[in-house]
Amino acid sequence: MKEARVDRVLEDCRQVLGDAVDALGGLRGESVLITGGTGFIGSWLAELVTFLNDHHDFRTRLMLLSSRAHLLIDKAPHLATRKDITLIARDVRSAIEIPSEVGWIIHAAGNPDNRLHASDPAGTIDVIVSGTTSILEASSRLPNLKKFLNISSGLVNGPQPFDLDSIQESWYGGIDCSSVSSAYAEAKRIGETLCAAYRSQYRLPIVNARPFAFIGPYQSLDRPWAINNFIRDGLLGGPIRILGDGETVRSYMYPSDMALWLLRILLHGKVGLTYNVGSPQGVTLRQLAEKIASYFPTNPRIILGLALDRGVRRSKFVPDVNLPQKELGLDLKVNLEEAIRRTILWNKEQSKKRGVYQTIVNDASTNEE
Amino acid sequence: MPNILISDPTLRDGNHAVRHQLNKSQIAGYAKAADAAGIPIVEVGHGNGLGASSLQVGEGLLDDRTILKVARENLTHSKLGLHVMPGFATINKDIKAAIEIGVDVFRVASHCTEADITQRHIGYIREKGREVYGVLMMSHMASKEILAEEAMKMESYGAEGIVIMDSAGAYLPGDVTERIAHLVSALTIPIGFHAHNNLGMAIANSIAAARAGTSILDGTARGFGAGAGNTQLEVLVAVLEKMGFSTGIDLYKILDAAEVAEKELMKTIPSIKSISVVSGLAGVFSGFAKHVERIAGEYGVDPRDVFFELGRRKVVAGQEDLIIEVAMELAASGKRRS
Repeated sequence: MKEARVDRVLEDCRQVLGDAVDALGGLRGESVLITGGTGFIGSWLAELVTFLNDHHDFRTRLMLLSSRAHLLIDKAPHLATRKDITLIARDVRSAIEIPSEVGWIIHAAGNPDNRLHASDPAGTIDVIVSGTTSILEASSRLPNLKKFLNISSGLVNGPQPFDLDSIQESWYGGIDCSSVSSAYAEAKRIGETLCAAYRSQYRLPIVNARPFAFIGPYQSLDRPWAINNFIRDGLLGGPIRILGDGETVRSYMYPSDMALWLLRILLHGKVGLTYNVGSPQGVTLRQLAEKIASYFPTNPRIILGLALDRGVRRSKFVPDVNLPQKELGLDLKVNLEEAIRRTILWNKEQSKKRGVYQTIVNDASTNEE
Repeated sequence: MPNILISDPTLRDGNHAVRHQLNKSQIAGYAKAADAAGIPIVEVGHGNGLGASSLQVGEGLLDDRTILKVARENLTHSKLGLHVMPGFATINKDIKAAIEIGVDVFRVASHCTEADITQRHIGYIREKGREVYGVLMMSHMASKEILAEEAMKMESYGAEGIVIMDSAGAYLPGDVTERIAHLVSALTIPIGFHAHNNLGMAIANSIAAARAGTSILDGTARGFGAGAGNTQLEVLVAVLEKMGFSTGIDLYKILDAAEVAEKELMKTIPSIKSISVVSGLAGVFSGFAKHVERIAGEYGVDPRDVFFELGRRKVVAGQEDLIIEVAMELAASGKRRS
């Protein structure tokens, strides 16, 4: 019997694919390689594609390349054991040969965890830059490459000015390239430039996507991001702690929307263009904490980190998504409130499997209908 | 009026000054007085922090659990703070118990170039919903750029603020201004400063930090702390208020708390002994002073020579065993005390 958490993700796929199946028809019978294939993005792409195979007879073959491919067996055994998925346990930096039948590539390798970026900036850069070079080189030898989607990052723009409502793809901001804290963003920037070079020099059909922030299944709650920590605090019974004065602004997209957007950009994105992927609806951390608290019967207390009038800097990270909306007709099918609700429920199911948050799970109920 | 958050480690750093022998009634008495004064954070424990009581750095009179429980019982408004050094304190044995007892604020410390070792501790404490700061000790040993990089690691692990410690009392105000201003501009979280008074600069350095943008300052009653002591808290509060900063602390009551500390906690008020001046100049952790004096006496060498040699070797807290090695070498080389 399938676990409830798997059913929830299947239901997410069913909902997001409602009227979008025909638009994904280009994947029928195709072979798709995903680097970083067992990570957050890769797992969701696999969920969506296998749903299309199971319910719409797409017969699409997936190859998930990852240095830690074995982790998928524990994380999502229902994916890892499928016949239409091949796990390739290899570091993207040594991906020198790609099976010739592959027609589509999604390059999603690269860990967005800023703890890793801070502790191992050189390794962070190497995985992205060497990995991108390696996969582009291998792609250039494919006989029938139809499209290469490079997953970059919304962070390539550098810090968003607080008075700028949202970031367009054409806004280049600025990053301090001499700072070690720029390792991930700078590597992603050079990743995009590498793609531009291979597109120009080798005529590879490359399109870029810049993901912003997400919340949903397959994202670990111990990641050091505000919404993850707020939900974790809530699951643990609170209080929910906010760093700073709560006025920092973020936006969050649910991963089923993310996966659909990425597949649509892969299929229909214009070669050479870059598309933001994320929610354009900004929310302050204080509002976010209040929304999350409302899903718990205990209504956990919200605490501001430090009641200081200096020392904490506000920031903003919100994409402008007019380009994907207008060019590709993409929109959000899951709003923030629903994304939070589904994330809490999925993590409760997850915790039953792993024993995390067990005490709270047994005591709490949410607004699940 | 800008706010400065005061954290008071009288009952932790002061424990160094009495070889970690503070007793229950001393802890209860000062905690109560500090609480009445409205000190935001009262830090307690062995001088080297949670789990540190040992033959190597000194066995405490009381175990951690007892210290924390006594302090907890006597703090109503003030938050209970704890100094944590990975290596001494373990998550399963020490931090879990401290959370159960009710510690509000954890300050996870590492040598100024080794922030990587704090990741698991900071992550665990954040996960448990407690306040957690990163602390970079012996910060004079790193440039402002390296300090910022190490501080950014702690920020990425989940630290809500970063405190740099002048563990050796080696800074001059210009050094502090340069480092604090750089950290404030490089990080998005509050920056704090913890001074020692080896060169008589603790108040001046703390004020320099405040002017450079620090949001958190440490100080101890009468300066009770390792070596030459810390920033004298009651003086710091008075000066900050005079300068237009707000601490939220009741001046009369903090003056009263200092009286309690002088009467109940210390045999002598900290002063800048000759050995402290030398340790400040040598850039060696003030907590070494008592060990250096004792061991230098045993080997018949000049403790000032020991300090300068330790400084040359860039020793850090936890390397107290090197004192004997240095003293033996000095004795063997014939450099005996004149």
